[in-house]
This record gives sequence, C-alpha cells and structure tokens, in this order.
Amino acid sequence: MKNNTGTIAMLEAKTLEIKNLVLDTFEKGKCGHIASSFSCAELMTTLFYGGLLRFDPAAPQWDGRDRFILSKGHAGIIYYSILADLGFFPKEELERFGQRGGKVSVHIHTSVPGVEANTGSLAGGFGVGVGMALAAKQDLNNHLVVTLLGDGECYEGAVWESAMFAGGRQLNNLVVVVDHNHMCCSGFIEDSLGSEPLDEKWRAFGFDVVTINGHDICEIMGAFEGIRCRKSKKPLCIIADTVKANGLASVENTPLCHGYAPVKPETMAQARRELNGGGR
Amino acid sequence: MPTMRDVFFNKLYSYAQKDRNIVVLSADFSAPSLDQFRLNIPNQYIFTGICEQNMVLLAAGMALEGKRPVCYAIAPFITMRCFEQTRLYAAGMDLPITLVGVGAGAAYDDSGYTHHAVEDIALMRTLPHMRIVQPCDNQDVAQAAEYAVNTRHPLYIRMDRYGVDSFYTGERNLETGLSVVSAPQPVTLLASGSMMRVALEARDRLCEQGRTVGVLNANALPLEPKTFRRTMEPVRTLITLEEHVLPGGLGSHVLELISDLGLAIQVKRLGFDLSEGYIKDFGGRDYFYQIYHMDADAVLETMRGMGGVKA
Repeated sequence: MKNNTGTIAMLEAKTLEIKNLVLDTFEKGKCGHIASSFSCAELMTTLFYGGLLRFDPAAPQWDGRDRFILSKGHAGIIYYSILADLGFFPKEELERFGQRGGKVSVHIHTSVPGVEANTGSLAGGFGVGVGMALAAKQDLNNHLVVTLLGDGECYEGAVWESAMFAGGRQLNNLVVVVDHNHMCCSGFIEDSLGSEPLDEKWRAFGFDVVTINGHDICEIMGAFEGIRCRKSKKPLCIIADTVKANGLASVENTPLCHGYAPVKPETMAQARRELNGGGR
Repeated sequence: MPTMRDVFFNKLYSYAQKDRNIVVLSADFSAPSLDQFRLNIPNQYIFTGICEQNMVLLAAGMALEGKRPVCYAIAPFITMRCFEQTRLYAAGMDLPITLVGVGAGAAYDDSGYTHHAVEDIALMRTLPHMRIVQPCDNQDVAQAAEYAVNTRHPLYIRMDRYGVDSFYTGERNLETGLSVVSAPQPVTLLASGSMMRVALEARDRLCEQGRTVGVLNANALPLEPKTFRRTMEPVRTLITLEEHVLPGGLGSHVLELISDLGLAIQVKRLGFDLSEGYIKDFGGRDYFYQIYHMDADAVLETMRGMGGVKA
C-alpha cells in the first residue's frame, strides 16, 4: 500500500514529534528556518502521514507517486526531517545538517531522495509543479501535483504568471496550498503591499479556493476530501491560515521571528519547553 | 530564403511528428513554421503568454516528466528575463531544455536596445551544463535542430532574425564548436553568427591583395579545448569577431582558453564596446558594425595595427 493512514490524534502527535526533530536538527547544524517550518507543520505532517499523498520511500521515483513541491523552500528543515523520518534517506543524515560532508541544509535540492525540484528561490517550485501538472494531463496520468507556497512568496510576480497559466489551462490535478502565516522576513505581509484579499486573487486567476485553519488537522483533511475525484475543472487553492513559529509562544506571530535561531543552549531549552507544553 | 527560425522549426517538426515528448513553448512569439505544430500536433505546442519566467518553469516541470521542451522567444527576453529560472532549473538540474532566442546581437536593429541581445552569451556561458549554439547560416541551424533533439543537457540557440544561405559546405561541428571555413593561417579570423559575413568580406578583400587569412566558424560554445589547441597550431594572430559586448563573449572565452592552454597567440577582439552606453543609434546593423569598429574595414585596420602582421 502506497498510502500512509492515521488518525487525527496520531497526526497531532506526529506533528509534535517532527517539530522536535526540527529543533534537534537545527541544534546540530545551527541553521534552518524554524518559524517558517512550524507554521506549516500540521500541513506537512497531514500530507505525508495522513494518507493524502501517494509515495513510496523505497522507490522515490515511482511513476504513480503524487508530486509534492515545497515551493517555500526555506522551510527545508521540516521537509528533510519528514523525508528522513519516512525513510527516504537515513535519519543520521540530519545529524550533519548544514555541515561539511552533509547532504541536506537550509534550502531544497534534488540531490536528496524524495525531492522533486530545487526550491529556495521563491516562486520557482510552484511553476515547476504547474509544468508537471500539464505533462500529467498530456500523458493522461492521474497523479496529483501538490505545491506548498508561503504567503510572502505570493509577492513574487512569477507566482501569478504560473497561476494564470494553471487557471487558464484548467489544471485540476494541481493543488496549491498557501501557508498564510501573514508574515515575511520584515514583518506582516499586509503592512507594505496589498497582498489581501489573497483568496479573491487566487479565485480571480481561475482557482477554486477554500480557506482553512492550517493548524487544524481535521480541516486540512477536509480540504483534501475527494481530491482525486473533483468535478471542478479548476485547480484548487487551499489557503491555510496559520501562525508563524506556531507552538513557540515567546516568538510566534512576532515581527522578525523569521530569523528565529535558538543557537544558545538556554534558548534551545526554552524552545523545547514551549513546544512540549512546559511554558516559557 | 527561409528564416533561421523556420529552418529550425521545420526540422524540429519532422522529429516532433515521431516523438510526442518534443514540445514547443512559445512566449507569444510566432513563426509560419510553428503553425504546423498548432494545427497538426496541438498537444505539442504550448502558448505560454508573455511570461518567460513561467515558460522556463513549465519547461522544467515538463522535462522532469520526460518531455523535451523547446522554449521560444526573442533572444534578450529568453535569456535575461528568466535567467534565474534557467540557472536553477535548466542548468541547476541539468535538464534537456532548449532555449531558442531569435535576434542575436543587434539583429532587431530597428527596435532599440530593449530588443538587443548583446550580453546573452556572457550570461549563458556561466551556467553549468549549458551549451550555446550560434549558427552563422541556415546549415548550422538545421544541425542545431538535430542537436536539440538529441542532447541530454540544456541548450541555448542564439539565432539571427533572418535566414542566411550557407557560407560554406564543409563539416559543421557543434560538439567542438569549431568548424573550418578557410584553413587556419598565421593570421586567422574566428567569427560567430552574423559576423561570419564580415570575416568573409575581410578575407576576400585581403585575398584580392594577395594575402591569405584563415577563417573559423565558432558556432558553439564552449569551444572544445583539445580541438582548439590543434586547430590553433598554425595560428600566431587571432582576431575574434562577435555581435556581442566584449566582456564575457567569444573573445573573452578565447582569451581564457589561450591562457589556460598556455598558447602563444596574439588576440584582438572585435565586438560591441558599450562602455559609453547601450546602442541608441538606428540605421541598420552594417552601420552599427561601422560605428562600433567591427566591420571589414576594422578587421583590416586591426591587422595593420598588430605587430608583425602585414595588411
């Protein structure tokens, strides 16, 4: 069976486990984007452990797999943690995260099993996913292409070039998940540019749009319900309302938390306490 | 005479009919020869809109799924607007994506420098796996189409705006990038693209004076070092001719090769010196060649100015 299945309770526990693995990995490499990873943690774990994506860690290039692209490639630390946890590559590789001789680091490269496309420069992964979805349509393949974007990434003009194409071509095998944590590096995304209403923008570009709480696993699973037999010809955009650095009470939703880096032992200890319910 | 793009797409069409993985992506740039794709194999023609960045991203996604995308636009836009996408995906992931740019150099001489591609080779040369083909005539173009469907790597084809009858019948070699037009001599001209016409004019004028120069066609970059070394054996003075800015182009490449190989060859480069700014003149390419000192007169004058060279 190519699917993983799980209950909501299991997925919540897995999310916490993966977040802890992200902290462990960060501690080894002293690099990686924790805040951006924690805003999409439930999205990532539900996709990979909730039976939403089809994949086979033993055969990363299996033709029938769904194509997943983490277009917000700066959250690579959570993606790599999940790929290692699933067995795409040995978990020991995380011990060398961002270090000499290591194969995984901050942004995402295809030299790592399970990765479909280089990402890290924003907007690129999404467009590559659109190309994959088009190729799948041409070849009558029925796998899904799922891309996860940041809302700050939606500043990029190339995102809208690709969206216009996907909407115009009615690529209903394409799912775009926007991690709407409301923040980019410098602050809140609405403060400087007119990025809202994000849902109306995606709708205007030819997408079906649903908005969910991106930390509610039940809502995430609901958004994907019937995803393989949608009657709509439009691609689907799921806007997941999230909190940047979710679970780290002292920094979450705080301007400039994008670069949050608990490099000192005491700050890492505090992060672990906050994450695991021990207070600040 | 068919344009270079029509020669290319007609040839590509003959391959595409047999291979449905060959797909053409056009950023709102047309050609009579593309109509047969649209009419007969519409699944293999993708209109991307005027979105070069997305065009290359689409090509990357399609290449990852086994397609052989050929992206088509005016040369400055397909190289510079989407350079990062080409860098990260075509080159970074070593995908078999072909970029076809029409309007090499200042071929769009009536359009102003928005439409000039005079820095494209400098950019594309820096990319790993990338091969640059610059046809000097329609025979080179036909060979480029064959190359495009067989290569496993990214490719940039820098085409002229017009068709050019074959200058010579000799062998063309896109693997080495060097083809002999007139046998190498102590003084040899190394020309690319439209500058082949200038080189041949200079050769013929010198010939009328009883002097002999070699002429080489640099139709693909990077030049293969072993072939370059062997070809350069009789050469003591090399003049490079390119419709490109001097930094980073053919001449720069040759200087680097000569230095790396430790060859004792005097080099003079003719190309656009844009240190005073972009080309804001009109009046045709021949006029540009004249005012930027890269026409046949300039070749002869350059030879006169070089020590030990009689011209």
